Amino acid sequence: MSFSVLLIKILEYMFVAGWIGSAVVLVLTGIEDVGTLLDREDENSH
Amino acid sequence: MSSTSNSPSGSNRVRIVVATSVMLTFISYWRAAAVILNDLGSSAFYACGIAEQAIGKSAPWFVLGVMLFAFAVRAVYVESCSMFVRGGVYRVVKEALGGTLAKISVSALMFDYILTGPVSAVSAGQYIAGLINDTIAIADAHGWVPAAIHRLFNGTPQVGVNATAVLFAVAVTLYFWWENIKGIEASSEKALWVMQITTVMVVMLLGWSFFTLLKVGGHLPPFPTLANIHYSQESLGFWKHSRLPHTFAILGLIIGFGHSVLAMSGEESLAQVYRELAHPKLKNLKRTAIVIGVYSFVFTGLVSLLAVMLIPDDVRVKVYSDNLIAGLAMHMVGPQVLRLAFRAFVVVVGFLILSGAVNTAIVGSNGVLNRVSEDGVLADWFRRPHKKFGTTYRIINLIVGLQLFTIIVSWGNIYTLGEAYAFGVVWSFVFKTISMLVLRYRYKGERNWKVPPNLHIFGVEIPIGLASVAMVLLSTAIVNLFTKSVATVSGLIFSVVFFAIFTFSEKVNRRKHAHTAAQMKEQFQLQQAESVERETVGIRPGNVLVPVRDYNTLNHLKWVLDRTDTHEQDVVVMTARISQFGAAAYSLSTEQMFSDYEQTLFTRAVSVAESFGKRISLLVVPARDSWSAIAQTAHNLESSGVVTGLSSKMTTAEQAFALGSAWEAIPEPKRQFVLQIVQTDGRVDTFRIGPHTPTMKNEDVVLLHRLWLNLTREPGLENVHHHDILTEALTRFANDYGARDREDIVKELRRHSADGGPLPARRIADQVHTVQPAPARPDRDDAPPSPKVTGSE
Repeated sequence: MSFSVLLIKILEYMFVAGWIGSAVVLVLTGIEDVGTLLDREDENSH
Repeated sequence: MSSTSNSPSGSNRVRIVVATSVMLTFISYWRAAAVILNDLGSSAFYACGIAEQAIGKSAPWFVLGVMLFAFAVRAVYVESCSMFVRGGVYRVVKEALGGTLAKISVSALMFDYILTGPVSAVSAGQYIAGLINDTIAIADAHGWVPAAIHRLFNGTPQVGVNATAVLFAVAVTLYFWWENIKGIEASSEKALWVMQITTVMVVMLLGWSFFTLLKVGGHLPPFPTLANIHYSQESLGFWKHSRLPHTFAILGLIIGFGHSVLAMSGEESLAQVYRELAHPKLKNLKRTAIVIGVYSFVFTGLVSLLAVMLIPDDVRVKVYSDNLIAGLAMHMVGPQVLRLAFRAFVVVVGFLILSGAVNTAIVGSNGVLNRVSEDGVLADWFRRPHKKFGTTYRIINLIVGLQLFTIIVSWGNIYTLGEAYAFGVVWSFVFKTISMLVLRYRYKGERNWKVPPNLHIFGVEIPIGLASVAMVLLSTAIVNLFTKSVATVSGLIFSVVFFAIFTFSEKVNRRKHAHTAAQMKEQFQLQQAESVERETVGIRPGNVLVPVRDYNTLNHLKWVLDRTDTHEQDVVVMTARISQFGAAAYSLSTEQMFSDYEQTLFTRAVSVAESFGKRISLLVVPARDSWSAIAQTAHNLESSGVVTGLSSKMTTAEQAFALGSAWEAIPEPKRQFVLQIVQTDGRVDTFRIGPHTPTMKNEDVVLLHRLWLNLTREPGLENVHHHDILTEALTRFANDYGARDREDIVKELRRHSADGGPLPARRIADQVHTVQPAPARPDRDDAPPSPKVTGSE
């Protein structure tokens, strides 16, 4: 396996693993965001 | 006695209080979102066009993917802001990885900022040129272009798209260069207005597009598989002749993602507006993040998708790749004239938002360079204020010079510009995210929020969310190094040159600052304070505040010292350090020292005070604009008066109005004070800031008196006072203004204000005859206030 192929493989694993983790971030922050939007307490005037 | 010693320790050194918090007018999350979207939303106008040129028809999926991923990147920014109020890239990277990597990251960020201007200005120019050409083509098709002109151009007259775009971009850049040199007052108000208009366009665009889809149908773009990704020659860069991108499926996805990543450029603005967000800050930051996330997903993501679905393949890349939204407008169902009108609207909105991004680029770059300059990484020479306008004109000249160079070298090629732009965008994100990852272990301070999820194994925290975002960004950035040859080469050259400038400046500054610090130690005693308070400065209420900026024009300070007994009344000399809207993330830090200029300014002020044998207090206040700084400081210090010199840009009345407006923005309860403006010839104009009894003209007093004489003769009104008449008159005026006669009143006041007009009070007073000779009894009321001896209202 050449260096280029090894590098590409590593990058591919990083990208896929990163995306899976980022999807979890999206879901968890999305749930939190709904709570933030529904909580109108302290909302400043605009 | 040492006249300028006010150090509590009793030494001869003059104490300078340096406020570290910028005096900001806090804004709601809607306004903050508008400010960010002015930058982030502008990429919708060119991102998908650039991506499709690189990877083919499946580009919208990648843009949508980038817009989804942007939600995760936003979470990283929220965490960084929850740690540092000034959570920009420089601060975070310096904290985590040290000065060298911070300088490299700032170089990448500068590359991003400097390219924001050209890419936005050229894109706006492309939209305008496209509209001109299509309008002429349609007119020609209808036979409205005269045959002579047709012959002259050997066909349908057309403007050169790239040349027009370059010309326009140069003009816009020069316009904003001048505005920034003068000290433009960028406001969230303007940003909100632009976003309101943009929203109207987006709603129309989406509504009309979906209606068109219902009418004529459409096909989704091909899904992003290796077979559907069609690389252009330029999109593979150093891998142009390699089989690798055609062999590895996920590598194809990374390449596509890397070519679309500029769709989320502008996220950095989130850190910049954080300081200016109203309470509760973190919650409002999250709300801002949600608003910009949803908006940019809908605008940039959906519009890209619809453009590929509705614009036929044969014209989309060939004709509309550089003005995709204009192409979308032209391929809706409906009469041609209506579509052309809507396209013109798109161009107007594009012009507004993209021009705004040009300004943001200059303001942002100026902010970054000011910040590193304050840290001693850029020579003080760059920070020297403009003689007339007080702006850091040398930094602005450098930025705009580089932008103009980029525009001309690229010759309106939006693809090349966009590709280079993506280099700066992705690497500044990488530095930021990796630094945040490092700070999870190194930073022990307050942290109000963390990117989820986080696992805890044997007491060690594993930041899965943060690491995931970092992995996506890093893999994309590394692949971009291979696939974007022009961006890699230009980005590296740029970053290396900037890094070299920073390193060289730092070395020079270190030596110079050692000398300056010694001088400062002799002359001044620095005291840092989070906010400006009277107790911190060590002065009494009723003091006089003297704002200074140019050390050559300290006449007003002399005027104050000549008339003030400093044993009875304190004199505070303040200078405002301006950090423009959105640039607040780069303002003062605790290790920041004075620039040469500020030291000279204070040294001169102290010399003036010494020449009068009087003591002064010195104060440095960071602020968004000088008027807010003066009003807020006068309020906080309980000053009874503010004495300033005449501005080179404004009349005395305009200065008073500006300060009055800033005073109005201060929340209640607030104090009134007197503003005195000392002109170069020694004349002094006096104004009262805040509600006060107005100066009445003689004819107004006469009219009031005659009315009072007549009214007191009416049965039952014998005891009426002058102020009763004024109350009644003002109440009636307020009613009329609020209801039927508003237009007339405004018109009449404008007429009198513009040309001085006739004197209605005298005219009316002449008509109000007293019924009988005035009674020989004294007025039961207090006499109306007499006009001021000096000054004007």
